[in-house]
Amino acid sequence: MAPADGGGEQPHKAHRQHKSGAKARKKKGKGKGGGGDNDGGERKNPKAFAFQSAAKAKRLQARSAEIEQRRLHVPIMDRSIGEPPPFVVVVQGPPQVGKSLLIKCLVKHYTKQNLSEVRGPITVVSGKSRRVQFLECPNDINGMIDAAKIADLALLLIDGSYGFEMDTFEFLNIMQVHGFPKVMGVLTHLDKFKDVKKLRKTKQRLKHRFWAEIKEGAKLFYLSGLIHGKYTKREVHNLARFISVIKPIPLSWRMAHPYLLVDRFEDVTPPESVRLNRKCDRKITLYGYLRGCNMKRGTKVHITGAGDFSLSGVTSLADPCPLPSAAKKRGLRDKEKLFYAPMSGLGDLLYDTDAVYININPHLVQFSKTGENDASKKQGKGQDVGVTLVKTLQNPRYSLNEKLDQSFINLFGRKPAAQSEDISGNQNDQGDANILEEADGNNICNANTLESNDHSYSECSSDSEHDNDEATQQNDHEVGLREEVEFCNGRMRRKAVSANFKDDDDDEGAEEDDVDSENSGDDQLSEGSADDSEESLDSDDETENNSKWKESLLARTLSRRSANLMQLVYGQASKKLDEGNDSSAEESSDEEFFVPKGQKKQAKNESTSFDDMDAEDYSKFFKTELRDWSDEDLIKSIRDRFVTGNWSKAALRGQEINENDVDDEEVDGDFEDLETGEEVDNDTKKSKREETNGGGYFDKLKEEIEIRKQMNISELNDLDEDTRVEIEGFRTGSYIRLEVHGVPFELVEYFDPCHPILVGGIGLGEENTGYMQASLKRHRWHRKVLKTKDPIIVSIGWRRFQTTPVYAIEDRNGRHRMLKYTPEHMHCFAMFWGPLAPPKSGVLAVQHLSNSQVPFRITATGFVQEFNNTARIMKKIKLTGVPCKIFKKTALVKGMFTSDLEVARFEGAAIRTVSGIRGQVKKAAKIEPGDMARRKGESIDGIARCTFEDRILMSDIVFMRAWVNVEVPTYCNLVTTALQPQDETWQGMRTTAELRRAHNIPIPHNTDSVYKPIERKVRKFNPIEIPAKLQHLLPFKSKPKDTPKHRKTPVENRVPVLMQPSEKKTHAAIQQLRLLKHEKARKKKLQDEKKKKAYEAEKAKSELLTKKRQREERRVRYREEDKQKKRARR
Amino acid sequence: MGRDKARRLSGSRHFRQRVVLATLTSTAITIDDIRSGGAAPGLRPHEVSLLHLLHKISDHHSLDLNETGKDARFLPRAYLWTKLRYKPGVIVGGRDLEHDCGVHRGIGYFLEPLILLGLFARAPISIRLKGITNDTKDPSVDTFRMVTLHMLKQFGVPLEGLELKIESRGAPPLGGGEVFLRVPNIKSTLKAANWADEGMVKRIRGVSFSTRVSPQIENRIIYAARGIFNRFIPDVHIFTDHRSGSAGGRSAGYGVSVVAETTTGCLLSADATVSYPNVDEMNEESENLELTSPEDLGVQVASMLLEEVAQGGVVDSAHQGLLFILCALSPPDVSKVRVGQLTPYAIETLRNIRDFLDVKFIIKPDPNSNTVTLKCVGAGVKNLARKTS
Repeated sequence: MAPADGGGEQPHKAHRQHKSGAKARKKKGKGKGGGGDNDGGERKNPKAFAFQSAAKAKRLQARSAEIEQRRLHVPIMDRSIGEPPPFVVVVQGPPQVGKSLLIKCLVKHYTKQNLSEVRGPITVVSGKSRRVQFLECPNDINGMIDAAKIADLALLLIDGSYGFEMDTFEFLNIMQVHGFPKVMGVLTHLDKFKDVKKLRKTKQRLKHRFWAEIKEGAKLFYLSGLIHGKYTKREVHNLARFISVIKPIPLSWRMAHPYLLVDRFEDVTPPESVRLNRKCDRKITLYGYLRGCNMKRGTKVHITGAGDFSLSGVTSLADPCPLPSAAKKRGLRDKEKLFYAPMSGLGDLLYDTDAVYININPHLVQFSKTGENDASKKQGKGQDVGVTLVKTLQNPRYSLNEKLDQSFINLFGRKPAAQSEDISGNQNDQGDANILEEADGNNICNANTLESNDHSYSECSSDSEHDNDEATQQNDHEVGLREEVEFCNGRMRRKAVSANFKDDDDDEGAEEDDVDSENSGDDQLSEGSADDSEESLDSDDETENNSKWKESLLARTLSRRSANLMQLVYGQASKKLDEGNDSSAEESSDEEFFVPKGQKKQAKNESTSFDDMDAEDYSKFFKTELRDWSDEDLIKSIRDRFVTGNWSKAALRGQEINENDVDDEEVDGDFEDLETGEEVDNDTKKSKREETNGGGYFDKLKEEIEIRKQMNISELNDLDEDTRVEIEGFRTGSYIRLEVHGVPFELVEYFDPCHPILVGGIGLGEENTGYMQASLKRHRWHRKVLKTKDPIIVSIGWRRFQTTPVYAIEDRNGRHRMLKYTPEHMHCFAMFWGPLAPPKSGVLAVQHLSNSQVPFRITATGFVQEFNNTARIMKKIKLTGVPCKIFKKTALVKGMFTSDLEVARFEGAAIRTVSGIRGQVKKAAKIEPGDMARRKGESIDGIARCTFEDRILMSDIVFMRAWVNVEVPTYCNLVTTALQPQDETWQGMRTTAELRRAHNIPIPHNTDSVYKPIERKVRKFNPIEIPAKLQHLLPFKSKPKDTPKHRKTPVENRVPVLMQPSEKKTHAAIQQLRLLKHEKARKKKLQDEKKKKAYEAEKAKSELLTKKRQREERRVRYREEDKQKKRARR
Repeated sequence: MGRDKARRLSGSRHFRQRVVLATLTSTAITIDDIRSGGAAPGLRPHEVSLLHLLHKISDHHSLDLNETGKDARFLPRAYLWTKLRYKPGVIVGGRDLEHDCGVHRGIGYFLEPLILLGLFARAPISIRLKGITNDTKDPSVDTFRMVTLHMLKQFGVPLEGLELKIESRGAPPLGGGEVFLRVPNIKSTLKAANWADEGMVKRIRGVSFSTRVSPQIENRIIYAARGIFNRFIPDVHIFTDHRSGSAGGRSAGYGVSVVAETTTGCLLSADATVSYPNVDEMNEESENLELTSPEDLGVQVASMLLEEVAQGGVVDSAHQGLLFILCALSPPDVSKVRVGQLTPYAIETLRNIRDFLDVKFIIKPDPNSNTVTLKCVGAGVKNLARKTS
C-alpha cells in the first residue's frame, strides 16, 4: 500500500491535473494537500491525513472494530492429538455431471493411477502431512444426508451448460443443517458453450447465484472441458491445490462424537452358520479412520441405515495409507504416493488383526501353472519377491516348513498348512467359476502396480468393463446381487498369514502368566492373573489387552503399589471382594475404628460389610484412629503442613513427586510443587498477564485452551499404549476395526459400496428415546405446508427416522397451542418422539425418499430445543349446549356435558352464548320430578345450571371454550435403507392422504360443516296491544287511534279535479313545453356521445403513432449509447 | 434400535451413587435383592425418601418397586421393596421445592446427590429440605456449606448460584431442622480440574452448634479444640451458632465442624455431633447411654481434622467420592487430583464410575507425601436438559 512504489511496476500514463476550471480551484482552496500525496506526502505531512472531523473518525473506528469483532468466533478446543484422519472430500452433483470422472482425475493427479470405477471411499496421500479421502455422493436423499454428515469439504459439481439443479440446493440445505463444512463449487460441461460471450455470461450468472447461496466470494471452480475424456491436467492440478489448502471447520456435533467412514467392510460370520441359515444374524467388521473424538471400547454406535449396535470389539490397526516419514524434503516421492480403496478393489495390502491380505492382480501374475506366457510378462516386470514366493510354493520339492525356513523373508508365522489350503481353495474357485473371476478381475485389475500399462492388462480391464456394462444393461437383479456379495466375500485374495491367532494368543497368555507369577511377589496379582486366564477363554481381544496392560505395568518400573492400587480398584470382579476384604482388614487391623459410643454397632456393621452388597452408604469415613495430637512427635510429623512450619520442606514434598511422577519431562527447574501441567500453567500465566494488556478476552480464551491442550498431552504422554486406550480411548486419526455382532443379514446382502456407510458413536443419553421439542420451519421451496401427525422423515445427529410430529406455537400466556398445519413463513415448534439428540442439533425433515416425486425434497429444517416431556400441547375445544329451561338469568343447559361428573369438573367455567351474553357454569342441575316426566326418553345426565349476565333465549346456543391436551404419538421408525436393495425406495408409514389415494377412499365430508346460504325468515311482529286500562290513562297523542287500515282509495271514491278551460290550456302548454325540452336534451346527448367516440378514436390513433415514434427514438438512442460504451470499454 | 436392557445391579449398597450416576448418564438400572437376605428386607425409609426427592426434581422417569412375597401385615410397606427398576428421565429442577428428608438419615445424605443432579438440571434448583441437619453418620450441613460448595468452584461452577442457608437446626432423633439449598444448572459441561497442589494449612475455621442445650457447651467445645490447634497455627476461629426455640429443632444436641484452609484454597474438614441416637438404632441400652462431653468432642474433632491434614490431598476423606464423580463428569480433558489415602467409599465410587461412565482413573501413589494422584479423562457429560434459547 505504500504510495511510493505505485508507479514503479507499470508505466502508466501520468495523470494530468486540471490547471484551470472549477476542480482546480476547489483543490487550490483546500490547500497543499493535493500536491503532497503523490509520493511520500504521508510521511512529510502526517497531519494532512488526520481525520478532519471527530464524528467521522469515530464512525470509521466503529466500523473497523465491528469488522474485527465479526471475524471472531468463540474458540473451540480441538482435542485431537497426533496425525489427523484423512480429509473427506465429498464430490456431489446431479447425475451425469462428471463426479466419478473428477475423482478419477484427482486420483490420477495424486497417485498417477488410473481408476476404472469409483466405489466407496478412496484414500490418497496428497502431501507430506495430508491425506484426502474422496467419496462420491450418491444421488438419493439418504446418501446425500449421510455424505453431508461426514464431509470436510464438499465439491458441488454443477453442469454449467444446464445450470443449477435442485440436487445441489438440497445438498446445501442438508449441509447447513448438519454443520456447514467447507464448500467449493465446480462448474463442468463448459465445453458445451460455443459462444465465448455466452460462456462468460453464464459463468458470471452462476457465480452470483452460488454466492447468494453460500456467501459473497465463495469459490467456484471452472473445469473448462475434457481432453481425451479427462479434465485438463492443469485444471485438475489447480483444483488439487485448492483442496490442499482448505482446512476443515470444527463442527460441534462431530467434535463431540466419534465416527468413521467405513472404507472396508467384511462379513466374518462363520460360513457354516451362513450355510445352515442364510438369514442368520451376521458378524461384520468395519474398518475406517476414526474421526471426531476419541472412541472408547464401550461406545455404542449407530450404523446409518441399519440401526444402533454395541461393539463387540475395537482394534487399532496399522495405517493402510500412512503419511510419509517426516524427513525434510520437498514434495512426495513416488513411493509415498499411496492410495487405499479396498471397496474399489484397490490397495495391495489389507490388514486385519490376525492376517495380512495381499491383493495381486491375476492378469499380471498368474499363479496357476500355465507356464510360458506369464514368464514373458515377468521378464517385463522383473522378479517380485512375493511372486517368486508363491511360485515356488506351487512346485513343492520340499515340505512347506523347510521351504519357509529357507526363504529369506520371514514375514509370517508358523502355520503354513492353512495357507496352502487357502491358496488351493482359491485356485479351485478360479477354475470353477468363470463369472467369479470376471467379477474379481473387474475389481482387482486396476490393482495398484506401479508399472501398469501392460498391454494385456489394459485389454483385460476393458473386457471386464464391457462385461460389467452388459451386466448392468441386463439389469439383472440377481446377477447384480451376486456380484456384490462376491465382491465383499469372495474377492481373490491370498491369505499370507497362517498363524493361528488363537494359539498365538494362548502362548502370549501363558507367557504372561509366567511373567506375572515371576514378578508378582504378593498373592493378589498372581491370583488375579490366574483368574484372568481362566476367564479369558471367551473373549480373546480382551485378554490380550488385559495381559498386555499387565505386562506393561510390570515392565514399567513403576512402583509396585501403583499397579496394586489400579488393580485394587479396577481388578476383576471376582477379586474385588477379596481385595476389599483385605484392604478393610488391613485398615481395621492397623487402626482402630473411631466409634462414637452411640455409633458402635453401626460402625461395626460397616467394617464387616464393605464387600456386602447391602452395605449402608456413608461418604464419611470412620476410619480415623484418634491419635493423641498433643504428642510432640506427631506434631512434628505434620508441622510442615502448616504455614507456620518450614516452607522449604513443604516445597520438597511436592518436588519429589515431580521426579516420581513424570520422569521424561524435565522440570524447568524454577519452583515449588507444581506438576508439569501447572508448570506450563505458570509460564503462560505470566505471558497471559502480559497479554491481557494488549489482547482481549478472545486471546485469553485461546490461551486457556492452548494450556489445557498442552496439559492433556503432557499428562497422557507417559502412559503405555494400552493404558492410554483404556483411559482416553482410541485416538482420532487411527485406523480402527470395529467388530459388530448380530447384524441383520440384509446389511451384508444388500451392501453397496457406492453408498457410504457411516458409523457414528452415540453419546451418553442419546440412545434413549423420548419426546423432543424442535424449532422447525417449513422450507420455502417446499410446495405444501406440513400437517400435524403426518409422518415425516427427520435426520438428527447420525440417525434418520420417521416420526409423526405435532406442530405447535407458543401463545402469549406460554401455552403451546397445536397447529394443524405449519405456518407459512415462521418457525413453529414440532414435538415428536424419537431417539434423543442433544439440544441445538440440527433437524432436517424430508417427506419422501424417492427421487422423483417432488421438485424439492427438503421439507423443513430446524434444530432441537429441548427434551420436553412436560410441555403439553393444547388444542382448543368448544363445548356447545342449548338451554332447556330458562329462569330469569339462570338457565339449565343441556348437551354441553355428558355427565354430572363432567359438570362438576367445569364448575365456574366461563361460558358464552352466540349472541354474546357471558355466563358461568354453576352446578349440575337438580331435576325436578315434573321436569323429568316431561323429558321422558331424553337423558337427564349432564344438565348444568348456568347463570348469565342477562336473560338468554331458548334459541341461543351456549358454548364454552376449553383446551384439551393433544397426545404426541410415540411413533418412530428408523429408516433402514441399508437393509434393502439400494434401488428400492424405503417405505415407511404412509400419510392419511396417501392411504386414501391408495385405497381410493374419498375424503370424509361432514355435511354439517358445509357453508350454506343463510335463509332468514322475515320476522313478523304482532301489533302492540295496549291494555284498555292503560289506554285510558294515556294522553291523546299516545293513544292508539282508531285509524282504519290504510288502503288505496278506489278510483270511484277519489275526488275529481275539474279545471277551468284556461287552466287546462296552460296545463297543456306546459306539458308540451316540457316534452320539447326533454326531446332536445335527448338529442343533444346522443350527439355528444357520437362526438366523444370520434374524438377518442382519433386520440388512440395519434397515441399509437407517438408511441411508435418514441420507441423508435429510444431504440436509436440506446443503440448509440451501447456503441459508445463498447467503444469506451475498448 | 438396539434394545437397551437395563443395567442389572444387586444389593442396596451405593444406592445414592447408582441412582445419581444412572440419572446423569440416563441408563436404566434394575437393582434386585435389596437386603433380601436380612431380617428387615427392602428399601430403608431414607432410600425411599431419596427416590421421592428424585421424583420431585425429575420428569418422565419410571420407577418400579417390586415387593417380596412377605406378609405385609407385619412390616410397613417400604420395607418390602426389594427390587427397584429405575429408568431415568430428564432432571427438571425448579424453584421453591420442598422435601421432608425424614429422621432416618441426615440432610447431608440427600445433599450430595442433589448437588450433582442440580448441576445437570433444566432449571436451577431451589429446595427446602427438612430433617436432621447434623448427625454422626452424614456430613453436617455446615461442612457442606463451608467445603462441598467451594469444591465446585474448581470445576467451573460459579459460587454465585450456590447457596445453603441453615434456617433451623435439628439433631437426631427427632430432627426438625430446615435448610434452603440453591444449585445453579450448568450451561453445558463442567470444566476439567487440575487440582493437585494441596498447599499448606493457613487457617482453621469452624462452626459449632448447639440446640436445646446450654449455649455454654459450645464454648467448652471450642476451648478444647483450640487447645490442640494452637500448637500448630494461631489463626483459628470457630464460630458459635446456638439455636433455641423453633430454630433449634426438636431434639437436643451439640457439635462442631472445623475446616482447615490451605494456601492453595483447598478445604479439609472434619465434623462431629453429639446427640441421642437415631430412631433406627434406638433400643434399651441406648436409653441411658453416656454422651460425649463437649471437651472430649472438641479434642476429637481437632484430632480428626489433624488426621485429615496429615493424610494430605486436596479434599478430605469424606469428599473423595464426590470429587471423583465430578472429575469423571467433566469434559474429555485430563483432570488431575490428589487425595490422601483412598477410602473404601472412594474405591467403590471409582468402580461405579467405571461401570456407568466408562471412565477409568490412573491411580498413582506418591510414597513421599503418602498421597495418591488420580488422573482421568472425563466422560464429557453435558447438560442435555437445559433448553436452548
